[in-house]
Amino acid sequence: MSSFADPIVDGARRARPVRPRRAPVSRLGLILMAPALLLLTLFFFLPVALTGVFAFTDLSTSTGIGRGDYVVTPTLLRQLGDKGLSDTDAEAVARSSVTVDAAGLARARAAGVDDRFLDEIERRFMGRDYEAPAGFVRDLRGLRTAPRRPRDLKSAAALFETSVLNQRFATSQALAAQLEAMAPEIAPAVRARIVEASFTGARFTTENFRTLATQKETARLVGNTFLYVGATLSLFNVGLGLFLAVVLFYMPKGASSLFSTLWLLPRITPVVLYAVMWKWFTWEGGFLPILADQVGLPSFNYMKGSVVTAWATMITLNGFIGASFGLILFSGALRAIPLQQLWASEVDGASRWQQVRRIILPQMRWPILFVTAYQTLSLLSSYEQIWLTTNGGPGRTTSVWALEAFKTALSNYTGNLEYGMGAAMALVLVVVGLALSLIYLRLFKFSELVGRPKIEI
Amino acid sequence: MTLHVKTAALAALLGSVALGAAAEDYTITVWSGGTGDTSTYRIDAIKLAAEQMMRQAEIRGDDLSITVEGQAWSGWDDFKQAFTLASEAENAPDIGVSGHEDIGPWSEAGLIRPIEDYVYFDTWPLNTIYPNLIETATFNDRVWGVPQDAEARVMFWSIPALEAIGWSQDEIESLAQRVESGDFTLYDMLDTVKTMQDEGVIEPGMGFGPRVSNGPDYWQFYQSFGGEMSDPETGKLVVDTGALEGMYGFFADAVEKGVVSNTHLGTEWDVWHQNAAAGNYGTWHGGTWHKAQWQNQFGLADFFGDVQYTLIPAGTEDGRANSITHPLVYLLSATSTEDESVIAAELIAMASAPDINALHAVKSAHLGISKDETRVPFYAADEWLSAASSRLAPHTNAIPNNSDFGTFWTAMYQGLEASWTGASTPEEAAQTVADTVKQSLGDDVVLR
Repeated sequence: MSSFADPIVDGARRARPVRPRRAPVSRLGLILMAPALLLLTLFFFLPVALTGVFAFTDLSTSTGIGRGDYVVTPTLLRQLGDKGLSDTDAEAVARSSVTVDAAGLARARAAGVDDRFLDEIERRFMGRDYEAPAGFVRDLRGLRTAPRRPRDLKSAAALFETSVLNQRFATSQALAAQLEAMAPEIAPAVRARIVEASFTGARFTTENFRTLATQKETARLVGNTFLYVGATLSLFNVGLGLFLAVVLFYMPKGASSLFSTLWLLPRITPVVLYAVMWKWFTWEGGFLPILADQVGLPSFNYMKGSVVTAWATMITLNGFIGASFGLILFSGALRAIPLQQLWASEVDGASRWQQVRRIILPQMRWPILFVTAYQTLSLLSSYEQIWLTTNGGPGRTTSVWALEAFKTALSNYTGNLEYGMGAAMALVLVVVGLALSLIYLRLFKFSELVGRPKIEI
Repeated sequence: MTLHVKTAALAALLGSVALGAAAEDYTITVWSGGTGDTSTYRIDAIKLAAEQMMRQAEIRGDDLSITVEGQAWSGWDDFKQAFTLASEAENAPDIGVSGHEDIGPWSEAGLIRPIEDYVYFDTWPLNTIYPNLIETATFNDRVWGVPQDAEARVMFWSIPALEAIGWSQDEIESLAQRVESGDFTLYDMLDTVKTMQDEGVIEPGMGFGPRVSNGPDYWQFYQSFGGEMSDPETGKLVVDTGALEGMYGFFADAVEKGVVSNTHLGTEWDVWHQNAAAGNYGTWHGGTWHKAQWQNQFGLADFFGDVQYTLIPAGTEDGRANSITHPLVYLLSATSTEDESVIAAELIAMASAPDINALHAVKSAHLGISKDETRVPFYAADEWLSAASSRLAPHTNAIPNNSDFGTFWTAMYQGLEASWTGASTPEEAAQTVADTVKQSLGDDVVLR
């Protein structure tokens, strides 16, 4: 086709020496992309950003998520005492008193406490001071008009009490004001220190990363993760996937479709069911141990009974899922190889192995790289099969980074959910994932793959 | 505009009048952790209390209707995750039944309300609850929950296996005493089970069957080697490196002697129960409540004929024979409405009545929460509960209520896993725990 007949190509060619012409941004295109962008923001950018923020906090079960009050507790006073708070100041803060006065009665009336009850309080106890709230509550319970429910009586009693200990204040100002009113003798600087320390919410810190960098456990987790990803990827996702694709390629079409479908089963089986089936397969009284027993091999729970078999089980069960992915991709790529090349090689007397080695494998470079890249990232972040099967055991010998991040942040026996630390671990995965993606894109020569064609049509 | 305001005002007025006259209708939700088939009364007791409360209201002339909805989790990690995240999402149940050690972090985060604001602890039945149990539900000088049960953790011994290696009846019977006094130590136990294996009485690797997963149980071994979880004076956590090394060394030695496998941790619970109930282990440790499971689910017929039970023996002279109790507590969620919490708290108080709690105690083989409960004939007639109450319960102590205890606990168990599987030596593992805990908690922990 002549370039004269095509004004766009012609225009593009003339403009090229200056700078490539940008494709016009279509408004319709943007509108069509909007839902995808929205989803991307909601489910990818936002979680990553939140993970990034959480990673630099000490967010945990005891700090709560996204909130925090100001509470002075006996524990806090003890901790502050260790850091130099004087006993006199600590006693002043811990002070609590109950006074039955007009102001208290007015507060109680405003809060809707029963009038007859308040009248009786006024009649019997007006002007009295109590050292401890418990004594006042006891006296109130003796009144004829006392509310039946303990909660009603205790909330009414609390309105006559002045104390900061164990009270939750929403703002630092509220606590500071109450402290000042109750214990004016405490120096403002000390008061500020108490208020600052009384915050129950999360604080920003880089401690998570320092811990990750210094603890010995990190090295073991990294080692385990390498072993898991490396072995699963090389033996199964790429190795077995490629082997199956080549074998099926040489099989008659009917048989090859049947086997391809069978190999998809691990992938399409729900993960919990798949895990349960592996348990039946490898546990005491399961298929493999019974079989082993019959032929005189050691028979035990292979999934959890020894470190070596636990690793083998974990890698195999994940690998079978991954192999099907490689199988599909490699089969597609194989079909793109012109059959004439194989016929020609057969004319030249090439064996099957020579065909695979000299014709097929060289043309599979990109699919192999793609599967490697994609599956590395997916294995790095996957933990659900491991969680449901070996659960990192025996001991913690098969635990990997993603599983440990999940357990740290969201699921452990003591219920001590360290969201901040878990997020830091997840962030490390995100960074490693991004770095690996960049490396793989270079290896792939991705720019060549999506670059402008070198010939013009 | 004016009309709108008037209508709204009228609606509000009518609403409040209607509320005064109409029936009070509540749905109280209860979530319970670590609750299997034998411990359903953790939830059912609240249902019974609701039934009683409605009858009382009816007699008083109030129209009160309460529906109790319960959900039980057999494990702990799922339950704690669910309760914590539901609380963060303001969607928590009205009542949570969890281990008392959760009071620390949950109260600090504002996930629960102190139950002492809702009930009187000096009226029946709460005034009959053992003071040491109330102590476990207390944190920062406030009582946050009502103890739901108690227990003791136990070292179980196979009587047939002891007999088979030549122990006399006297020796078997006096074992509990010898363990309690510290004469019979953990290492004596290892020698005993090794003999059982050597003589072919017990299969190799089955001499000792420890708990298969994390639990308060492992703190007992820390105490056996002289460890103290927290300082009674200051309430600070105490990391005793020597005691950790001692307990890690003990389990490593058990592996070394071949009486337990290095991959024992993580064994399935059912497998452990089957072995325990069938007498396949020489000794094993668990809790008082396991007896109910072995009899009901795993076919153990003659418990007292086949099983001797003692405290966890001392490890060294510094340590002591001991047992840990881990009371569960009823807690009030902070996300309920005030009215729901009032009802929930009163239901909890009523469910703590000796006769109602005895249903749970006997069915699940947990210990009762009050002296009065031991006088309930149904409870008193249970041989196991009486036996455990006299032999074990007096020597029990609980893990501390401290919002940082989870950090120490997780580190302790990781160290145990590392030394048990041989990934670290006991010395390294103990040092790692000390370093990790010190790094996380700084001055709030004492190193010994």
